[in-house]
Parts: sequence; C-alpha cells; structure tokens
Amino acid sequence: MLIKPTITYAGSCPLFRSLEMQILNAIPLDKCEWRRTFQRPTKQVRLEAQAQQFNVSMLEKYKQGEWSILEHPILHIFVTECNDIDTYKATIKDEIDAWLKLLTSYGVLDWMILLVETLDMRKTKNILPRTTVLDKIRLDFGSKNDDRCISVLNPAKFEQKSTESFRCLVQRIRFLMLTSYNRNIVKYEDLLRSKRERRNLDGWDFRQYFFLQEDLALIFEKLELHTEALIQYDELDALFSQYVVQQTDSFRQPLDAFNGICLNRVDKFEMRSKIRNRSLPCSLLEFRNYLFERQAQLLFTSNDIPEIAKRLLNFLFSTLREVDYIKVECQEGSLACWSFVCALEVLQLCEQAMEPNEVTVQCFQHCAPIWNLAKDKLYELGKLCGLLPGSTPTSEQLHIVVQLSSGIGDDNSTVEQQQHFLLANPQTRERSPNRKPKKSATQQLKEALGSNQAFEKLYLELAELAISTYKHVARLRSARLVGLDLGKFYCIHMNEPHKAVGFFTDLLRELKTENWQMLSSQTLLELANCYRKMGDTLAYTKSCSSISCCVELETLVRTFYFDEFLKSLKNLNTTLSAQSSMENANFCVLEDHFRILDIEVITPKPIIQDDFVVVQLKMESFYPREIVAETIKLCYELETPPALEEVALTTPTTKESSISQLKVSLQLSYKQDNKLHMSTVSCDSPKTKHSVRRTSSTKRKLSPSVHADFSNFVQAENTALQPGVNIIELKAKAMRVGNWQFKQLSLCMSRLEFLSEQLPISPPSFEVSTKPASATLEFKTLIAGIIQPILLHVSGGSFIFPADAKVTLRCSKNLRIRQALKSNDETNNLANDSTFETILQVPLKHFKSFEERCIPLEVLTDMPGRKTTKHHEHHIAISCPWSRTELLIPIEFQPAMEATCRLHTCGTQKFLQVIMKGLEAHLLLKQAMVKCDVSGVKLVDLNPKNQQPIEIYKTLMVTYLYEIQVEPLKTEEELPIVKVHFVIQYASLEQPTIWRNYGCAFDLVDYTTLFKLQGQLEPNELCRLRTVCNMNLKITKIHENPYVDLMYEVLNDQNLWAVCGRSAGVVSMKDVDSHSISLDVMPLSTGFLPMPSIRLSKYTAGGKTKADAHSKVHPFPPGQVYNSTKSLQIHVIASVSADQ
Amino acid sequence: MAFCIAVIGKDNAPLYLATSDMEQELQLQYHVHAALDVVEEKCLLGKGAPESKELYLGLLYSTENHKIYGFVTNSRVKFIVVIDSTNVALRENEVRAIFRNLQVLYTDAVCNPFYIPGESLTSKKFDRSVQKLMNGNA
Repeated sequence: MLIKPTITYAGSCPLFRSLEMQILNAIPLDKCEWRRTFQRPTKQVRLEAQAQQFNVSMLEKYKQGEWSILEHPILHIFVTECNDIDTYKATIKDEIDAWLKLLTSYGVLDWMILLVETLDMRKTKNILPRTTVLDKIRLDFGSKNDDRCISVLNPAKFEQKSTESFRCLVQRIRFLMLTSYNRNIVKYEDLLRSKRERRNLDGWDFRQYFFLQEDLALIFEKLELHTEALIQYDELDALFSQYVVQQTDSFRQPLDAFNGICLNRVDKFEMRSKIRNRSLPCSLLEFRNYLFERQAQLLFTSNDIPEIAKRLLNFLFSTLREVDYIKVECQEGSLACWSFVCALEVLQLCEQAMEPNEVTVQCFQHCAPIWNLAKDKLYELGKLCGLLPGSTPTSEQLHIVVQLSSGIGDDNSTVEQQQHFLLANPQTRERSPNRKPKKSATQQLKEALGSNQAFEKLYLELAELAISTYKHVARLRSARLVGLDLGKFYCIHMNEPHKAVGFFTDLLRELKTENWQMLSSQTLLELANCYRKMGDTLAYTKSCSSISCCVELETLVRTFYFDEFLKSLKNLNTTLSAQSSMENANFCVLEDHFRILDIEVITPKPIIQDDFVVVQLKMESFYPREIVAETIKLCYELETPPALEEVALTTPTTKESSISQLKVSLQLSYKQDNKLHMSTVSCDSPKTKHSVRRTSSTKRKLSPSVHADFSNFVQAENTALQPGVNIIELKAKAMRVGNWQFKQLSLCMSRLEFLSEQLPISPPSFEVSTKPASATLEFKTLIAGIIQPILLHVSGGSFIFPADAKVTLRCSKNLRIRQALKSNDETNNLANDSTFETILQVPLKHFKSFEERCIPLEVLTDMPGRKTTKHHEHHIAISCPWSRTELLIPIEFQPAMEATCRLHTCGTQKFLQVIMKGLEAHLLLKQAMVKCDVSGVKLVDLNPKNQQPIEIYKTLMVTYLYEIQVEPLKTEEELPIVKVHFVIQYASLEQPTIWRNYGCAFDLVDYTTLFKLQGQLEPNELCRLRTVCNMNLKITKIHENPYVDLMYEVLNDQNLWAVCGRSAGVVSMKDVDSHSISLDVMPLSTGFLPMPSIRLSKYTAGGKTKADAHSKVHPFPPGQVYNSTKSLQIHVIASVSADQ
Repeated sequence: MAFCIAVIGKDNAPLYLATSDMEQELQLQYHVHAALDVVEEKCLLGKGAPESKELYLGLLYSTENHKIYGFVTNSRVKFIVVIDSTNVALRENEVRAIFRNLQVLYTDAVCNPFYIPGESLTSKKFDRSVQKLMNGNA
C-alpha cells in the first residue's frame, strides 16, 4: 500500500500533466523545515506527493466529516499559462474565482495558483509590461496570501533559466503542503475526538474509527514522527482493550488460524487490508497481531528494540486474557502455539538487532523472561501432544499436532527474511561459521511438534538460553527457577537425574542462603527423588534425613522419608565401604536437623586437670520420631584471644553484648519540688563504633562442613534423641590445661556425621587448670633463744587431699617446733618448753583443692654461748602429702644477745670484764655468775649483790666485773689456759616468768704480767709549749720469761707531740731486771695532753739464719704487759716566748 | 484482591508470607522469590540518585496470571504483592495504597519491643490485618 499525500490540479490540466513528473520527482529531493503548531519542535521533513485532477467528489466526505486524512488532498493547485492580461480578465479570472469559491464552500483553504510562463523573454525583452498577469492574480486573489500565487518559467521550454524559479516552486509546494498538514491534522484530531466521544452510543463502529485514527498514525509515520504515530497506536490499543471487553460478540467466532506475529512481512499492510475487508471477519488474534506488528515496526524504525521485547509479554498476557474473557472457542494448545511463535519472533528480532551492535543489557533484561515463556509454552505443547521424552503420541495427540500445525499457518516472510538475514549480518556469520541461518519461529515450532527428538532439542535449547540470559542480567534467582524446571525435565522425563542434580543443588543452596524454608524443602524433595533414581544411597540418605527434618512439610511426608532414612541408613554400612567417596561426603549439616539451644558446663569451676568435664547440651531435634545417635561429640579448642570485631560479627546473638558495650545511662529529671518529672534511658555515645549493629542473623553460611579439630571433645554415646528439646550430658576427662572454647558439634549416626556449621550461641568457655600445691614457711627475723612465731602456709592448688593428710616438719639440731598454742591454754603450758619437739606433724583436716591455709607455729632454738654475732643457721624439712621429696627450708636465727669478755690488768692484779651486748631482742637479765673449775684460780665477784633483773635491748650493754686471783704456785706454765664459765639467766619481756639460762665459756690465756712499763716526763710539772722535755721510760721485768729483746715505740700524735731523736729502740732484758730509756719530746699544743703512748713488742733480730733475714716484731698479748703510762695526762702551758 | 503479600527481610529471607490461595502457595512463593531479582536490580539503579526516595518500585514483572509489585522500605525490607492480572479493575493507585497500608502495619508490628529484628513476623494481629488487606477490606 502506497501512502502519498495527494495534490490536485485544475485549470490547464494538460500543462500540469506535462510538468507533473518533474514536480513530483523534485519534491522528495530535499527536506523542508516544518514549523509545527502549538510550539512543537520544528522538524526537517522529506515529503512525497501524488497528483490527481481536481474532483469535487473528493471533498464531499470532507464536508460531511467522514473524511480520512490519508485520502484527503492536501493541496489544490490551479494552473494557467495565460500571459495576456486581457485573456486573463476575460476567462481565467472567472475560472479561478469559481474554483476558489468551490474550495471555500468545502472549507478548504489549501490552494495555490501556478502561472506558467511560456513567453519567450528574448522576443519581448524590450517591452516591459506595466502589469503582468501574476500581479493581476495576486491583486485579485492573493490579497492576504500572495505567497499562494506563484509563477514559474516553463521548464520544458527554458531549461537553463527555469531552474531557479522551479526550485522556488517546489519549495513553495512543500511549504504549503506542510502548512496544510498543520491545519488538517488539528482538524482531524478534532474529528477523531468527537468520534471517540460517541463510542458508547449504539451503532458506533470501532473498526471504522480504528482506520480513521490509524490514518493519522500513518500520516505521522510518513512525516517521520514515529513517536507520535506510536501514540496513536497505543491509544487505539487501549481503546481496543476497552472495546473487546464491551463488545464481546464481535470476536466470538472460533479460532481456526493462530498465526503468530511476523515482524518481517513483505507487505506490511497485508493484515490491514484483510481487517478492512468486511467480508472476511478478522479474529481477535489477527487484530492484536496487526496492532503489535505496527507498534513493533514503529519502535524498530525509532531503534528502540528493547521496548519491543518489553511490550511483548504484556501484549501476550493481555491478549490471552481477552481470549479467555470473550471465551473464544479455540483448539487446545493453539494459544500456546501463538504465544510461542510471537515470543520467538521477537527474540529473533532482538538477536538480529543486537548482534552487530554493542550488546545492550536492557534488551537481555526483557529477553530473559521471553525465553522462559517460550520454554514454558513449548512444554505445555509437548505435554499436550505427547512429545515429552519417554512418551509416544497417541493418534489423538497426532491429530492435535496436525490441527495445530495447520493453524500456525505458513511462514509469511521466509524468503525475504532469510535474505535479509544473510545481507544484514555477514559479520555474524563469519564469527560463528557453524551457525545455520535461523529458521523462522513457525518453522521451528512445526519441527518441534513433528518429533519427540526435535521437541527435546528445542526445549533444552530454550531452557539453557533462558538460564544463561537470566544469569547474564544477574537475575540469579530467576535463573535458578528455570533450572528447577529444567531439572525436573531431566529427572522426570528424560530420566537423566544426574544432570538434574546440579540444578537442584544450585537452587537449594540459593534458597537456603536466604532462608526460604518452604521452597528449599520442596527442592529437597526433588533432590531426594533424583538421588533415588541415581542410586546414590549416601546422598539419598542425607536428603531423606533433611526432608524428615523440614518442619514446613506435612507430617505424613516427613515420616515417610524418616522411615526411608532409617532404611537406607542401615544399607549404608554395606554400600558405603565399597564406594570411594569424597572425603567429606558423609558430612551433613547439623543445623538442618537439630538446633542447638544451649551449651552449659556443669562441672563447677575451676576444672582441675584430669577431672571430668561435664557439659550439658540442650538441643532440639527436628526429626519426627526418636532417633539414636551413636556418638555426640562437642569439640573444644584452645581459646585464642578474639578480635573484638570478629566476635560481634560471628556470634549471632550479640544482643546482650552489644547492649553491654553501649554506654547506656539512666537520666532522671526532677521537678522544682524535687518530684520525679521523667526518667529516660540514653545512650551517650551513639557515634562510637559500637553503635547498634544488627547482625545478619538469618543469613546462613553454607560453606561445606569443615571438620574442626576433634582432638579434644566431650562426648555422649548411644543417645536417644526425642523430637523436640533434648538435654544431653557430654563428658570427657580434661586432659590439657588451658582456656577452652567449644567449636563444633558432631553427631554420628551409622556412617553419617552431622557437623554443625557454627555454634549458634556464643558458647561458654571453660578453664582447665592445674596449680601445684605448695607449702611455705613465713617468718620475719628470727631470734635465737626465745619463742619465735612462724607461719606454715599451705596452698592446696589442684591437688586433691585425702581426708587425713598431714604435713611433717623435721627440724635440724637444736631447733624445736610446736604448733602455736591458743591463747586460752596459754596458762597451762606456757612454762612448758617440753612441748617443743624436733618433729612435728601438722594435720590438714578437710583440706580442699585450691584452699589456702595458714598454720601458726612456734620455734625455739638454743642460744649457743658463742661470742660471735654470726647468725645461727638451721633448717626445717617439710614433707608434704603431694610430694615424695622433702622440702628443705633454711632458717636463720639471730642471737638475742652477745657476751664478750676482756681481761684487764692493774699491776699484777687481773680483772675479768664480761660485757653483755643487747641485740635484737628485748630481754631481762639476772643472776650472772662465773665459774672456774681450775684449782688455784679464784674469781671474785665484784658486782653488786641482790640486783633487780636488768633490761637489755639493742645497743645497750651490761657489764659484769670479776677479779681473777691465781695462786702464785700455779703459774702460767702450769695453766696456760684458764677456762671460765659465765652463766646468766634471761627472760623475754613478753614472758617474764620463764627464765632460761645463757652460758658462755671464756678462755683466759697470757694472764700473767711479764713486764711493767713506767714513764715520766721531766720537768714534771712545768711543761711548756715547744719546750723540749725529757721522757723517762722504765721497763721492769716482773716475771721470768723467755722474751729477751724488746722493742719500744713511741706512738705519738703528730699534732700534739714531736719526738726528738729516735722514737723507737730495742732493748735487751737479758740478765737485767729493768731498763731505763730517755727520750726527748716536745709538746706542740697546750692543755692537758695525753702522754705519748708507748708500745712494747717482742723483737727477734734478723740475719742469723738465711731464712730469717729480716727482723721481726711481735706484739704482746694484752695481759702480759702492764703499761702504767696509759691514760696519763700532761699539763702543757704556753711558753714564755709565745707570750711575748 | 491480592493473591499474596510477602515481607522480605534485609537479607532476602522471608519474614512473612501470606497467600489467599493455598493451592497456589508454592507457585506464588517462587514468584515472590524471583521478584527479588528485579527488586535488587531496581534498587541498584536507584542507588546513584540519593534524592530518589521513592519506595514504591512499581510492577516488577508479570506472568500470565499474576502481576508482581514491589516496595522497599528505607531499612531495605521488601514488600512484595502478587495480584491477579485478570483483575483489570485494580489500578496502580490501589496497589500503592496496599503498600502504604502494609508499611504502616509492618511498622506497628516491628515496634513491638519483643520483636527481634530479622526474625520472622509471627504477630497474630499483623497477620489478621494483612489478611484483611489482602481481601481488600483494609
């Protein structure tokens, strides 16, 4: 069908005909700017036209309001070649006038007067006519619109010169045509509106209206306004939807043909003419097809192919709904055929359009559901016609196939389309050389209906395409659902369950991840079916188990699968050993079957190494009946210091912890009268990291079960688990010390092992500890001789004590020990030192692990009478029940006091001074005594009698004095050593009633005076400063002795005395009793000066033997020399010269 | 009026699902599940423009018998409503109204202090109201 705007001509028709071809050919050569009304954007339009001789009948319809814009002539041209004004006035003017009046009477304003000048200008070039015919015409007719009057040089005669004027003419025609369209479209739209408004009246003909409006659409299309054309079609589409619902009768004839849409028709208006032809009633499908085809064409030309795909589904569904609503009689399956062909047609278009260009996701987005639809429809047909694999069509079904195949109709565009395909896509062919040119949708369907194999092939192809397209546009869920269909097809119809498993497991994983319980349990059913067909006992067992735990399913189903589970579980033992299955093939996800509610460590804390750990596990079983788990193990691992972040993420129930991390505070506000006004709870730090964070509690990890380290676990064996909540006690010996955390629960039934993915509750950690028992002695500085407190500290650690445990303490010599007495029996036993023992057994009654006990003890040690202030070292050996070896603890005692003695000489008289020096303790002293058993030696007590006890403490000294009288006969030769015992009683201040003895033995040696040294300074009285004095020394031998050579030395203070001459010398006492020495000394200072001290020593001259080359000086022991010069003082007065 | 009303949690787990037709329940659930694909797609598109606060996602997709509409709250909880596509009388505005009412009901339900976010909605009151909404007498 040709659509060309019509131009009429009147007047000199032969003339116009001579020009017609030239004009009509010239019009489409160039574009013209179209200024549209209502400020719509201007547009460059390329026009076409056809010419027709003016005929009044053409305008009749226009006047009546029954016109079509398509047929309506758009421009009326009056042609004349009159050059002569007179002729014009005589005839032409009237002609034009009549013509114009006629036009105006029909309300047509689109006219044009064309004056063709055939005058030979060369002949008349000198004559310039005053007024031309054109001027006259303009004057007469074109008063307002002189642009409608135009003259042109006859191009037939003036080929050279006419070009310019001819171009003007064509331009003017184009312009006027568009102006006419502006006016006519508005008018036509008004007409349509009024027609449409009458649609509810009786006798309104939709078909008529349809063509009216379609004409407008066609005009728009012609004028390259595709969107506006599309709008017209969309309006018609909507109107049709309404119309169909109201006028159900018009389409109620049975559907014999159900051709699908064809987007590559050779004659695009084939259907239009068919619809228009009233003798052939068109079906609803045909009408719909036509509408959609037109819309698709318009979209295709405006290059909006995705939109076609987008509209398709809606088109199919609404049409199907309409068919359903009108209750059109149709062959079963015909609609499926129709839908299928439509879908495939669009898909092919999309493919063609996309392949050379960049692939647009948008298009795929719409294509994916179409593939799916095509697949579904094909399946429907296959089922209807017995084409599913494994079934053979019955004769009835074959009859259906025949009917359907004829109903689909023939391919309308085979040849054209194939050519188009070959031409348009050479690249595509190069890219995939194996690809055959696509068969048309109809052909494909017919082939698929023809044989089971073809059907199967096409179905699988479509399903795969649907899946891959869905995946491509990232609609994974939809892809998986298609997979479900495909899986069912494989499993049920093709009997290839192994191919289906993949689809089902994919879907199951997806559904489980998002917690779609109901759907996942359905999928499990499918999966179980597959495994059963495959004979995969292990997988089948696992699926059965899972199904029986699906709470969503009906009890009947669950119990059936439960029985199946138990049955195949028994078989598993025999079959599994033969199979070399994957390593973790027999793992099941524990969470699918049980829910762990609580884990609690029952063993009281702390758990001691080697003790039993008892854990109470609270677990809900989803099985419909009782089941026996052979072992339930809960493994634990050493706790690693957890990263805080991780804890928050992994523990699902962090509600408490997250709340505890928030700084929530209570705020109370009071009224003025101190009554509570309001109380609020506020969180002070909402900006910190620990804001309320919802963990993905429902998101489940579906990683394949990983076996945790089951080297440490608590377990229970052969436990019957009832449906619902079970409380199970798990037990194990705590072998290793540490902080343990529960990691994974494993439950074994036959060969199956159920492993938990993650413990749902933050499991309690427990500590297995061991602590060595210890016993220590605690004491401060200990003092010998008096009772000292000491603490035995026993800490039990993790040792488990027998009831009659004892600690034995064994003391070293001279050390005794007893348990501290309680204060109330102090009086009885205080005095009794005999309660001290060297070995003490301390009972530890009812001593528990980890108990700590302090036992006060008392120790006493003898105070040995030694002069040394050295510490007394002792030790206590402790033997404990937990140890076989004795523990040796060294103890040091400090002496309470110290006794020293000195020998004093006064001439020949000898005195013994005993000095008691107080040390750490605070003591009382009494009854000091000396004893000497040697005959001939007598000690005279010079101390006052009947003294009170003397207190002694640190830094205080008490001195006792005794004179020693030795009988002259008993000289030193006989008794070189005289032993003297000093005994004193002491008591500590705290216990003043208990007196203990302290004894000390002194050895007296060299107690005989051998020499006496006397000295005198002369002048005796008047000793002046810096005046030399004479010092006379006299050494007298008192007792016979072997020391012959004596050496004397003056040891003077250099500041006080100066010795003139020798200050030392050697004298020989051989055969003389005394020796006098005189020395000169000079005082250097005034006042009472101590006399220079003299020292007398034994002298052995050297040089007598080789070995003894040097002289030697040995000091005398203090008792052998009496030095009378000691502590003499000399009064030195200032010298005379010094006074001066 | 509606075949199925579903509330889907933040992580795409169903929190609540009600169907008026028990026979079709499985099929409807599959529809709702597949609709999440489109919801995700639309949410992803809307991510670029933060000012687009439109929670109503419109028609997600349609099948021969059903139309599936979507709505996503600010907390990424999705509402999916499946309606009968033969019911031409049901306008888009009414679908919007269903979603608006549903959101009010949902907010009321989750305001319950004993409700733990992310768990399925078991409130009887909520269920009653949704059933009412589904039958068109809300």
